[in-house]
Amino acid sequence: MGYQGFYFNMTRCIGCKTCQIACKDRNDQDIGINFRLVKTFELGLYPNPSIYHYSGACNHCANPKCVEGCPTGAMYVADDGTVQHDKNKCIGCRYCIWNCPYGAPQFIPELGKVGKCDSCKDLRENGENPVCVDACIMRALEWGDIEELRARHAGEELTSELPILAPPHITNPSLLIKPKKNARLKEYQEKEM
Amino acid sequence: MASFINKVNELNLSRRSFLKASAVATASLPLVGCGNSLIKSATENVTGEEGEWITAACWHNCGGRCLNKALVVDGIVVRQKTDDTHMDSPEFPQQRACLRGRSQRQQVFGADRLKYPMKRKNWAPGGGNKELRGQDEWVRISWEEALDIVASELKRNIQEHGNRSIFSTLEFGSLANSEIAKLLTLVGGCVTHSGTRSWGTWKATPRLIGEIPEPMPGLQINDRFDLLNCKTVIMLGANPAWSAISGTPYYTRLANEAGAKFIFIDPFYNDTASLVDGEWIPVRPATDTAFLLGVAYVMITTDDPVTNPIIDWEFLKANTVGFDEESMPEDADPKDNFKDYVLGTYDGVPKTPEWASKICGAKPDQIRYLANELRMHNKVALLTAYAPARNKNADNLPQLVMTIGAMGGHMGKSGHCTGVSSNANAFNGGPRLVQPGGDGIPPYKNPVDDSIRDAVMWPAILDGEYSYVGSLDGGPFLPAERRKLDIKVIYNGGVGNSLQSRDGMNKGIKAYRKVDFVVTHAQFLNTQAKYSDVVLPVTTWWERLGGFLTGGRETLFMYSQVVKPLYEAKDDAWVAEELAKLLGVDPKKLYPFDEKQQFFNKIAGSTVVTDDGKGMEPLVTITNEDIAEWGVQGKPQKGRIGLKELQKKGVYQVERHANDNFGYIAFSDPPAAVAGATQEKFFDKSKIKIYSKEFEDTINAMGFSKIRGIPTYIEPEDGYEKTFSDWDNQIKGEFPFQVMNPHYLRRSHTVFDNIRWLQEAWPSPLFINENDAKAHGISTGDTVLLTSPHGQTLRTALLTQRFIPGVIGLPHGSWPDIDEKTGIDTGGADNMLCGAISTGQGTSGWNTAICNIEKYKGTPLVPDVQRPQRIIF
Repeated sequence: MGYQGFYFNMTRCIGCKTCQIACKDRNDQDIGINFRLVKTFELGLYPNPSIYHYSGACNHCANPKCVEGCPTGAMYVADDGTVQHDKNKCIGCRYCIWNCPYGAPQFIPELGKVGKCDSCKDLRENGENPVCVDACIMRALEWGDIEELRARHAGEELTSELPILAPPHITNPSLLIKPKKNARLKEYQEKEM
Repeated sequence: MASFINKVNELNLSRRSFLKASAVATASLPLVGCGNSLIKSATENVTGEEGEWITAACWHNCGGRCLNKALVVDGIVVRQKTDDTHMDSPEFPQQRACLRGRSQRQQVFGADRLKYPMKRKNWAPGGGNKELRGQDEWVRISWEEALDIVASELKRNIQEHGNRSIFSTLEFGSLANSEIAKLLTLVGGCVTHSGTRSWGTWKATPRLIGEIPEPMPGLQINDRFDLLNCKTVIMLGANPAWSAISGTPYYTRLANEAGAKFIFIDPFYNDTASLVDGEWIPVRPATDTAFLLGVAYVMITTDDPVTNPIIDWEFLKANTVGFDEESMPEDADPKDNFKDYVLGTYDGVPKTPEWASKICGAKPDQIRYLANELRMHNKVALLTAYAPARNKNADNLPQLVMTIGAMGGHMGKSGHCTGVSSNANAFNGGPRLVQPGGDGIPPYKNPVDDSIRDAVMWPAILDGEYSYVGSLDGGPFLPAERRKLDIKVIYNGGVGNSLQSRDGMNKGIKAYRKVDFVVTHAQFLNTQAKYSDVVLPVTTWWERLGGFLTGGRETLFMYSQVVKPLYEAKDDAWVAEELAKLLGVDPKKLYPFDEKQQFFNKIAGSTVVTDDGKGMEPLVTITNEDIAEWGVQGKPQKGRIGLKELQKKGVYQVERHANDNFGYIAFSDPPAAVAGATQEKFFDKSKIKIYSKEFEDTINAMGFSKIRGIPTYIEPEDGYEKTFSDWDNQIKGEFPFQVMNPHYLRRSHTVFDNIRWLQEAWPSPLFINENDAKAHGISTGDTVLLTSPHGQTLRTALLTQRFIPGVIGLPHGSWPDIDEKTGIDTGGADNMLCGAISTGQGTSGWNTAICNIEKYKGTPLVPDVQRPQRIIF
C-alpha cells in the first residue's frame, strides 16, 4: 500500500505560522493545542547568524507507535494509509502521546481525549488539499503519495532525518523534507520569536 | 456551558438541528470565547458542501490585501479559507491570506468585543475626575444616552469655545472611516493632525526634490516580472517577510531563484534575508544617511569611466541637478554641490567609509563592497522600505537614495530601479491594473485649517499652542505660524488608535487627562478606548453590507456581509447620522443616498486595464435585473465579469504572464494606463534635485530643525550619538541602547494584539543581542525594564545573534498596560520610549529612540497569552 504524507520545503519557509493558524481554525482549537506547529531555530554567531523554521504536523508514519500502543484502538491506520483517531473510542489515557516521537497527538482537557492532525481526510476525500498546504504563503507544503512526491522532487536531497527530529527508523514517518543546509547542523537553539 | 455539553452528548441530534440549537443557546455569548468543544463536535466532517462561503473583508492596515472567505452554516462562521478561485502559479498567484487574516474569526467573534455603549463611572460634563481616565470603572449606557452625551458635549464646547476646541484624531482620507470627519465638517469643522506615519520622510521630500511619484501607489520601482531581471537586489531597511507578507516574500523568492543576489542593510538579520540567503550588512538604526554617504564617496573616488565605470555620468547630466559644481543651478553657490560635500572639499571632512563606519556600524569594506555592487553596468534594484525614513532628521534620506540610484543610472530601464518597495507595492511597482469606483459622495472640506504634526500633537494639547505648518496630507507646506490652541474634546472616530500609535505616549495620556471629553468608536478596549470617557461599540467589516478592498496592483477584492452586527454594535456611519440629527444637521448632507447605493456606485465605477495595456474599461457587467434586485439607481453596462459572479468569487485578478502588456519600468516613458495616479505626478527626468533650494527653504521655514539643500549628515535627535555621554572618547551615557521597532506578524500595527491564537504563536519578546544581554545579566525569559528619556516599559527578553550589538528590537504595536503606581508600562508599547519630538518636515521618527536596559527587579511578566482579556460586560 502506498503511504501518504507531507512534503515540506524548508528552504521556502519563513516561519510565519499561517499553516499553524489555518490548522487551528479548521480544527477549532483552543490555545495550547496545535496540530501543526512551527518552530524557529538559530545557529551561528553575530555577524553570521543563520536560521531555519520547521513546520510539523502528524507524519502519518508507516510504523505508527501511537497505533501500536493504543489500548482501545482509537488510534488506527485508515484505508488510505494515514493514521487516524476515533474520538469515540478514545479514553484519554495518553499512551499515544508517550509513544509518538513527534508530539503529534495532544491532550485536549475539555474533551478529556486526545486529538491530532488527521491530514484533513474529509477535505481530501472531497478533492481538496489539507488546509495547511493551500494556506502556505510560500508554497512550502505539499501532500500526496510519498513515492510520487519523492519522484516529483528528485534531486532535492530529501530527508526525514534532522537533528531536531527523532531518528526516522523508529516510526518510519511519511515525511519528505527539503532541508536548508544549516538544518543538518547540530548546534541549534530554538527561539520563540 | 458544561451542562449544555452534557445534554448535547446525551441527545441523538442531527448535525443541522444541533447547530441550530447551539446558535440559539449561545447567541449572547461569543462562540469562540467560551471554549471550542461545542463547535468542534459540530463541525466534524464539514466539507463545505453545506453552508455558504462568503467573501469576508480583510480590512487591515497590514500593507497588503488577500482573499479571505468565511464558511457560514446556519448563521455561524465555522471556519475560513483563502484564495482557491484559480490554479496557483508564479505568474498568476493565488492571493493567500496570512495568519492574521485567518484569525479574523477569532477577532470578530472574540469574547472581548465591546458589546454596549459605555461611559466611565467618574466622568461628568467638564471632565469629572480626569485622572481616572484609563483606570476607571465602566458603566453600561443606552445608545440614546451615549449619543446624547456626545452631541451635547460637541454642541456645548463648539458654542462656548469654538470649533477649534474639537480635536479629531481621524486619519482623514484613509480607508473609508471618515464618517465622523464628514460630520464634524458640517458643524463648523475641527482641528486635525497629519504626520509622516508609515512613509517617514518619503511623505514630503519627494515632492520637494522633483516630480518624483508618491511612493504609494508604488510608481518608483519596476513590476515583479521585470525585477526577475535584476542581478543585485539591495534591501535598505526592508523585511517583507514580516512587513509586507501579502505576495512580496513569494516574489523575492522567485527573483532569488531567477538569479538575483540580495544584500540586506538592516540592524536585524531578518527573515527575508534568510529566505533568499541574502548577505547582511549590519547597520545601526537612523544611520543610513551616513552609510550611503560613505557609499557615495567610494563610488566617486573609485570611478573611472574607462577602466572602472561606476558612475553613469550621462544619466546624471541628463536627469539631475546639483551633483557637482558644473551642474548646480545658476542662482546657487556652486560650492554647495553634493560631490564636494562628499569629498570634504570645503568642510574638511571626507565622508570616507571609515568616517561612515564609526557612525553606522557597517565595516568600511562592506561599504566599499556595496559601492561596487552599485556600478552602472550591474543590473541593480536599489530598494528601500520606509523604516529608514521613519527617523528623526532623516529628511534628506529619500533624496540621498535617489541620488545613489541616479549615480549608478539605475532608473528607467529593465533590470534597474531605485526607490520605495513597501506595502502592497513591495517588489511589484506600477499603476493599478484594476480599480474600484467611487461611492459618489461629494468630497468634504474642513472649514478649520488647523493641522498639528503627529509627532507633537500631544505637547500641542498640553502646552496650549503649536506651530502650524500646513498639512502633510497633500500639503500645503508652510512656514511656521505659532497658534494658540485650547482643545476641549478629543473625538476618536474610527480608523486609528493614535494614543498608542503616535510619538510620546506618556504625553498623550497627560493630554487625554487634560481635556474635558474624550469619545471613541471601538471594537475592543484598545488604548484610545481605555482612556476615553464614552466608548461607542462599532461593527467590524464582517458585519457591514460589503465593499471593495485593494492591495497589490493586480487585484481587487469585493467583500460581502458575513454576519449581522454583534450585540449593540453599530456602523460608524449610523453613529454619524444619529449625531447629525441631534446636532441639527440633515443626515442627507452626510449621505445623500444609502449604503447600498454607495456600494453600487463603486461597483459600477470599477475599471480594469484594457488588454493592450493602454487604457481602462468598465470591470463589471450590470443588468437591469441586478439594478432592480439591488433597488438602486443605475444604468446597465457591459464589463468583464458579471456582478453576481464577482460577488461570489470575491476577487478580480488581472491574469499576468511574462512579456504581457502590463509591465512597468519606473521613470521610463509614462504608461498610458494610470488609473488612480495623475499624469503630472510622473517623474520628469530633468528634475531629480540632488540640490534643491526650495527643499531646504521649505523645511527650514517649518522651524522644527534645519537641513541643507543637498543630502548631508545631520546628527539625529535620540540617535546613535545620543547614546554616548562622551562621543570623542566613546563613553556610553545614561541611555546606551538604540531601539528599533520591527513590524511583527502577530499584529497589523496595533490590531490583533488581543487575539489568543496570535499571542500564542508570536509572543512579542524583546530582541537583544546575546552578548549585550549577558553583559547585563539578562537571560532569555527574564523580564527586562527599558527606560528612555520619555518613559518606561517591560518586555520579556529573547537573546539572539541576529541583532547588531547596541540595538534592541521592540516589536511594534504591543498594547500598553500601565501600572499607575510606578508609571511603568507592562505591555511593551513602543511609544512609551519614543518621544514627542518633531524634526524637519515634522517626522514621526519611531526608529530613533534610545534607552537603558536592565533586568527588572519587580514582578516578572506573564506571557501575553495568559493575561486576562479586556472583557467589560
